[in-house]
Amino acid sequence: MAPILELRAVVKRFGGVAAVNGVSLSLERARIYGLIGPNGSGKTTLFNCITGVDQADEGEIRFKGRHIDRLKPHQIFHLGIGRTFQVIRVFPELTALENLLVVTTTGYDEARRRAQELLEFVKLERLAGEFAGNLSYGQQKLVEFIRVLMTDPEMILLDEPAAGVNRTLLNELLDAVRRLRDQGKTVLLVEHDMKVVMGLCETVFVLDHGEKLAEGAPGVIQADERVIEAYFGR
Amino acid sequence: MVGQVVISGLLAGSLYAMVALGLGLIFGVMRVLNVAHGPILMLGAYTTFWLFHWFGLSPYLSLLVSMPVLFVVGVVLQRLLVRRVVDAPELSSLLLTFGVSIAIVNLAQLTFTSDLRSVEYLTGSFILGPFAFSKARVVACLFAVLITAGAFWFLQKTRLGKALRAVSQSREVAQVCGINVQRIHMLAFGVASALAAAGGSLVAVMVAIQPEMGQVYTFKAFLVIVLGGAGNYPGALLGGLLLGLVEQLSSLFLTTQVNEAVAYILLVLVLLVRPTGLLKGRAS
Amino acid sequence: MKRAFLVALAVTLVALAVYPMHATGYGVRTMLQLFMWIALAQSWNLISGLTGYVSFGHVAFFGMGAYTAGILIGKLGWAWPAACLAGGVMAMVLAVVIGWPCLRLKGPYFAIAMLGLNEVLRVIVSYYEGLTGGGNGLSLPTLHASVPIYYAMGLVALAVTALTYRIITSRFGLRLMTIREDEVAAEAMGIDTFRHKLYAFLLSAVGPGIVGGLAARDQGYIEPLSVFPLITTITMIVMALFGGKGTIWGPVLGAVVLFTFQELVWAHFIYLHQLFFGAIIVAVVLLMPRGILGVLQQKYNLPRTI
Repeated sequence: MAPILELRAVVKRFGGVAAVNGVSLSLERARIYGLIGPNGSGKTTLFNCITGVDQADEGEIRFKGRHIDRLKPHQIFHLGIGRTFQVIRVFPELTALENLLVVTTTGYDEARRRAQELLEFVKLERLAGEFAGNLSYGQQKLVEFIRVLMTDPEMILLDEPAAGVNRTLLNELLDAVRRLRDQGKTVLLVEHDMKVVMGLCETVFVLDHGEKLAEGAPGVIQADERVIEAYFGR
Repeated sequence: MVGQVVISGLLAGSLYAMVALGLGLIFGVMRVLNVAHGPILMLGAYTTFWLFHWFGLSPYLSLLVSMPVLFVVGVVLQRLLVRRVVDAPELSSLLLTFGVSIAIVNLAQLTFTSDLRSVEYLTGSFILGPFAFSKARVVACLFAVLITAGAFWFLQKTRLGKALRAVSQSREVAQVCGINVQRIHMLAFGVASALAAAGGSLVAVMVAIQPEMGQVYTFKAFLVIVLGGAGNYPGALLGGLLLGLVEQLSSLFLTTQVNEAVAYILLVLVLLVRPTGLLKGRAS
Repeated sequence: MKRAFLVALAVTLVALAVYPMHATGYGVRTMLQLFMWIALAQSWNLISGLTGYVSFGHVAFFGMGAYTAGILIGKLGWAWPAACLAGGVMAMVLAVVIGWPCLRLKGPYFAIAMLGLNEVLRVIVSYYEGLTGGGNGLSLPTLHASVPIYYAMGLVALAVTALTYRIITSRFGLRLMTIREDEVAAEAMGIDTFRHKLYAFLLSAVGPGIVGGLAARDQGYIEPLSVFPLITTITMIVMALFGGKGTIWGPVLGAVVLFTFQELVWAHFIYLHQLFFGAIIVAVVLLMPRGILGVLQQKYNLPRTI
C-alpha cells in the first residue's frame, strides 16, 4: 500500500534559521505515529508545513500521492487532513455545537446529527449550547478534538493532545485515538508526555534541531543513545 | 531633471522617515496602530504657528517647545487611554485611536478654526549648480536627520532605549528581565509623539496648516512602516526615503492630484507582495 | 416574549408606513435620514461586526452609489429607482475591486488600506471632472419625491436588517464569525476565509450604494465633500458600535438613539459633532466594546438573534 503521507527533504526557514532542515518521513495508513523531540526541534513547524499554515521552502509533501505543499490550509483540510493545535483554538463565542457545525458544508440536518453523535461520543451533549469560551480547559480540548472529526478526515494531526489534561480524560482520548486507527485512519501526534507516546504510538519519529534523528518502534527509540543525548545532553 | 527629483525625494523622505519612526515605535512596542499620529503632528504644527505668530519665535527654535509638550501629551494619552487596549484585539486599539484622532481634530477646529494658516519664515531656494532646492525643505531635512539620528542614538546607546527595543521584541522576556513594561509603553508613545510634533513643526513652514492636515501624514507613515517592515526601526528610515523618492518621481509623470493615489496603490501592492516589508520586518 | 416583540415590530412598521400621510415634509425627510443611517450602520456591521475586519472607508460605497445614480439621472436621464439600484451594483463592483487585493491582508493592514481609500476616491472624482463635475459638483433636475424616497430608504433599511438576520442565523454567518474569532483556526478547519470575507464585503457595499443614490436624489446635488466625508464613516461606526456590533438590532438601536440625540441636542452644537462622536467611540471601546445589546446579550445570555 502506498504511504498516505510522504515528506521528502522538507526545509522551512525563518529568517536565517532552518526550523525544519531536510526532514523526510513516510506514513502508512491506519497507524498511530508519534513525533517527539526537545523544544525547538521543529515539530510544530513541521505540522504547520503539512497543513499549509506555513509553506515549505524546499522539499515535497505528498498526501495520497498528491502534492500539497503549495495548497492553502482550507484546501488541505478538505483533502482529508485535520489537525488540532498546541494552544486550544476553539471559537470562544460560538457554542460547542456551533463550533462543530461551522466546519461542515453538508446538509444542515446531517451535520447536526453528526455533531450530536460526536458530542455524545465524548459525553458533552449537555454542553452543546454553551459558549465554547465558557467551557473548562479539558472540555475545550475535547471539543477541539471532535471538531476535527466532523468531516471524517483520513488523517489527523494532534498537537500535544495530552497537555494539561487529567488522567481520566487522557485515557478516554487515547482510547478514542485507538478506535480511530481501528477505523482505518492515520494519526500523527506531537507529544512531550513519553508515557503517552510509548503506550500509544506504533512508530516514533525523533526530531532534533530540525532534522530527523531517529525513527522506529517506541522501545527502540527509548533505548537509542542519540535520542537520550538530544533530550538530556551529554 | 532626474537628479533634482531624486534629491527632492530624499529631502521629503527624511521627514516621512522621522514621522514614521514614531508610528513604528508605537506599533513595535505595543502592537497598536495609532491613527491619532497625524493629529499629533498637526498639533506640533499649530504650536509652531502660534509661537511664531505671537512671539515671532523661529520655527526651528519652537521644536524645543513642541517636542517636549507633545511628548507629555503622548505619555498622558497612553497612560489614560491607550494602555487599556494594548492587549485587546486590534480592532479595539484602531477604533480607540481613531476616536481620539477625530476628537483632537475637532478640538483643533474649535480652538483654531479651520482657516488656513502658514508660517512665512524661510522662503527662497538654495541654488547649487543646475539644482534649486527650497530652503525650507533643506533645513527641514537637516533637522529631521538630526532628530532621527538622535532617536537612533537613544535606541541603540542608552539603557532606556535598549529596554524599549527589548520590549519590542518580546514583552514577556523583557518583564522577566526586570524592565518596567508599563513605563516603556508610555515612553514609546511619548517619544513617538515628539517625533510627530517635530514633523509638524518642520512642515509648518512649508504647507498650509489646518486641523485636518495630519490625516495624510498618518496614512503615509503607515505606508512607510509597511514598506520598511513593521517593528523594523532602521527599515522605517529606508521606507521613508523610498516613499519620498517614489512620490517625487511619480510627480514627473502624473499630476499631483493623482500622487496620493500612487501612494495608496503602492501600499496595497507592497502589502500583497511582501507583507513583511521590503526589508526584514516581523510579520504581525 | 418573542411574540410580544414581533407584535411590537409589526405595529412599528405599520406606523412608519402610514407616517408620511400625517407628517410634515420636514418630518418625512428626517425619518428618511434615519432609515439611511440604519441601512449604513447595519451594512458596516455586516463586514466589520461579523468578521472583525474594520472598514474605515465604507463611505466610499455610499459615494460610489451617489455618483453612479447622479450621473445616470443627471446626464442620462434615468429614473431614480433604477439609477439607485445601479448605484448599488456599482458599489458592489467597487467592493470587488478593492476587496480582492485588500481582504487578503491581515486585519490591521486591511484597516490601514481602507483608511486611505476615502482620499483616493475623492481625488479620482476630482480628476474626472468631465463626468463628475469635479469640485463643482453635480446637480440633478429638481424633483419633489420625498415620500417615495422615504419608502425606498425604509425598504433598504428593512432589507439590510433582514439580510443580517438571515446571515447571523446561518452557517455562513457562523463562518464569518470564526474569522473574527480565530482566522488561522478557521482556515485550518476548512473555511475559505478569503472568499467569505469577500462575500461579506460585497453584501456590505450594496446597502450604502443604493442609499447613496437615494440620498443624492433627495438632495438634488452631489459634490465630493458631501458624499465622501470621513464623518459619514465615523457616524456609521459609532452607531453600530454603540448599539452593539455583531448583533442584529444593535446598529438599529445605535442609529435611532444617536440620530435622535443628533437632531435634538447636537444640532445646536454642530461644531462639536466629531468631538462627541470621538468621545463616544473612546467610551464604547473602553467601557462596553460590545455595545449595549452586546452587553445585554452576555449578561442575560440572550440568543444571538438580538
